[in-house]
Amino acid sequence: MITADTQTIDVSTLPPHVEDHRSPIWWANVLLLCIETTMFGLIVATYFYLRMNFTQWPPVRSAVGLYATNPDLGFATANMIVLFISVVPMALVDFACRRHNERPIQIGMTVMVLLGLVTVALRFYEFSGVKFRWDENAYAAIVWTTLGMHLLHLITGTAENFIMTLWSWLKPLDAKHVRDIRVGAVYWYWIVGIWIPLYVIIYFGPRIL
Amino acid sequence: MNVSRAAVPNLCAPNEEAHRSMEKLWKPPPGLIGWLCDTNHKHIAMRYIVTAFIFFGLAGILAFLMRIQLARPELHFLGPDLYNQFFTVHGSTMMFLFAVPMMEGMALYLVPIMVGTRNVAFPRMNAFGYYTYLGGGLLLWIGLFLNAGADAGWFAYVPLSGPNYSPGHRVDIWADMITLTEISALVGAVEIIATVFKQRAPGMSLNRIPLFVWAEVVTSFMIIFAMPAVMIATAYLAMDRLAHVNTHFFNPAEGGDALLYQHLFWFFGHPEVYIIFIPATGFVSTIVETFSGRRIFGYTALVLSLIATAFIGFGLWVHHMFATPIPNLGRSFFTSASMMIAIPSGIQIFCWLATLTTGRPRLRLPLLFVFGFILIFVLGGLTGIMLASVPIDLQVHDTFFVVAHFHYVLIGGAVFPLFGAFYYWFPKWTGRMLDNSLGYWNFWTFFIGFNLTFFPMHILGLHGMPRRVYTYVAETGWGNLNLLATIGATIIGISMSLFIVNVLVSRKRGVVADANPWGAPTLEWATGSPPPAYNFYFVPVVTSREPVWDEPEKKPVVIGLSYTIREVLNTTIIDAVPEHRYELAIDSIFPLLLAIVSSLTMTFVIFTPWALPIGMFFAMLVLFAWFWRGNEPQPLAEAGVARPPPNANLPAAA
Repeated sequence: MITADTQTIDVSTLPPHVEDHRSPIWWANVLLLCIETTMFGLIVATYFYLRMNFTQWPPVRSAVGLYATNPDLGFATANMIVLFISVVPMALVDFACRRHNERPIQIGMTVMVLLGLVTVALRFYEFSGVKFRWDENAYAAIVWTTLGMHLLHLITGTAENFIMTLWSWLKPLDAKHVRDIRVGAVYWYWIVGIWIPLYVIIYFGPRIL
Repeated sequence: MNVSRAAVPNLCAPNEEAHRSMEKLWKPPPGLIGWLCDTNHKHIAMRYIVTAFIFFGLAGILAFLMRIQLARPELHFLGPDLYNQFFTVHGSTMMFLFAVPMMEGMALYLVPIMVGTRNVAFPRMNAFGYYTYLGGGLLLWIGLFLNAGADAGWFAYVPLSGPNYSPGHRVDIWADMITLTEISALVGAVEIIATVFKQRAPGMSLNRIPLFVWAEVVTSFMIIFAMPAVMIATAYLAMDRLAHVNTHFFNPAEGGDALLYQHLFWFFGHPEVYIIFIPATGFVSTIVETFSGRRIFGYTALVLSLIATAFIGFGLWVHHMFATPIPNLGRSFFTSASMMIAIPSGIQIFCWLATLTTGRPRLRLPLLFVFGFILIFVLGGLTGIMLASVPIDLQVHDTFFVVAHFHYVLIGGAVFPLFGAFYYWFPKWTGRMLDNSLGYWNFWTFFIGFNLTFFPMHILGLHGMPRRVYTYVAETGWGNLNLLATIGATIIGISMSLFIVNVLVSRKRGVVADANPWGAPTLEWATGSPPPAYNFYFVPVVTSREPVWDEPEKKPVVIGLSYTIREVLNTTIIDAVPEHRYELAIDSIFPLLLAIVSSLTMTFVIFTPWALPIGMFFAMLVLFAWFWRGNEPQPLAEAGVARPPPNANLPAAA
């Protein structure tokens, strides 16, 4: 039992919450991203490992007279650009969160949801630019898997942004959700960042390798 | 009333009323719904431990049935098909449903108390992890009872496990069990790291973290970087097998590669060995320190050894593949890496021996299990060095020599320390001691039974007895050694029964334990046994590496944390200086619902790929509800936050 001469540290003057990298949830998100990055690293390893089994990458397909089997660049590059652009509103929301500025958060998050829907839609067009069905050969398997795995993240990120947007319009701004939005922003930056090497590998790999 | 029964009375509630109101705050509401919503780390961890022990028992029964089958040549007790299912489910259960969840369960119980906090950082996610694990375990075992037990070995190599050679859904069940249990393992790992990084008691700088906590942190990092590999491998396998998806990752006819599977699997599989072993070294360090009655010798060396083991552990995986066509350079590299890992293990063993010889060791049951561990693990390590050499490995590959080796390493390296840990922490969990003489019987029958079972397997392996074959002919001359092994297995069975009886009896009628029955130095003994729901009424301030040995009656404490909301103190990562307060999530039913949705999705995806989008949709609905039904919103902080507490430099006096 503590007595009068027990030494104490009084923490009641400390902030009851933080909204940045000192928060446990920020760390949990970083650890999640370690898991996800490892997963994509293994997917890239698979890509190059399977490459060794082919003389032509992507394999040619003589049956339908389709010799140019490189994946289409159009929609893919458009999507990469949309992803780059999406970083801007996300960063603006992030800054607005720092200043607890409600209206830019609401508008920025709404823009994020719309951009998210655009990238998801563009990804489906990207699938149509892969010249093989997923079940035709190992090349198709890994390309579809890479696109699909990243698509899952686009959907998850957009869904997360959607629920945050809903909250920001319906409820008054509070510390916990400011922090959540900022952690969500880190997740979104990662979704964009991880796609840069994957985009290069998936779309330029076949042209170079 | 356990409040008065703590080694450091400073940390306890000042009176009964204060204790009751805090219990009410940190406990779920009574009743079944409350039980299902529970997010207290001790309750969730105990569910992990009990569930994992039940799976341990079930897998042990399968092992015993296999030993009966092998006791004499040409028995037909189990047919080849049942035998295949049994050894696969035995191995998969022991690795995925016993070893990893058991070690994480121990961590989730002990780590928050050892670092001096009130709950894990993400209590709801913790509950989700447990239910997902349970879902995976049920999937595998219900499959077995429906004659759909996985049957392609615990590592399910392609092409055997591929669509052509394993029709039906046995392998699919295995692959989806992996996905569920690995989600759970990853969730637990994130939980442990975040809790240790951010919620340590003030003053518990990195160099004052208990060794068990270090071990669990290192293990959690290994889980984070190893488990994705097995999830990817099994995802590819499931896609190759699933009707209407039918990819060709592992189909050589379409440019796929069977060896790719082995690489991915063992990139997980070898670190997995250390994921099981490193927590056990944490048990050993704890037990050795307590029963030597002195500070552990070579704390820094021990921590660095753990980290070195973790790093080297990722560079060994190809030694499981020496019998495949890999380049010579690769063989040499992985041989030397495999031998190199003996260095940190050796450092650990010598540090423990130095602690024991320079202290005043008291030979109690937990320490006896540690001695059992050292003996058996060193033997397993010796055969490990033999197997690291390619020529020997090629000779004994896929024989009982390998079976003997990894049971020496895993049972010796993990299960013996684990039983030591059970005896050591049972009084913490229940407030009562396990019976001593039954404990000695348990140890000696286990030790003798274990060696009788597995030592003959070395010789059988050298004589060429292959693993995973359901019988052998009399002319091989393997009958007597096999009979010996079966007798040993019977003794292990008796030993385990003794342990279970001991637990069931001592739980209610054991000797009531003292506040700190072993004279241990770590914080879990500073509070009551069993600990109150809130762990510490006053969060301790740590001024040394052995906080309970260190003037307990004058222990400085933290004041100013809320007694009306579930609040914990967050500290800085390196020095553990108080940083901010942090409100934990309230109890919720949604973790259970999300785990149910995930488990059902992974069950139906065995039959149709459409289960995935539909499952995702429902999972998202549950997550939205999870998000929406949270704590009371907190007002925004004022600009220019973070005033340090006036006396935050207190813990510096070491």
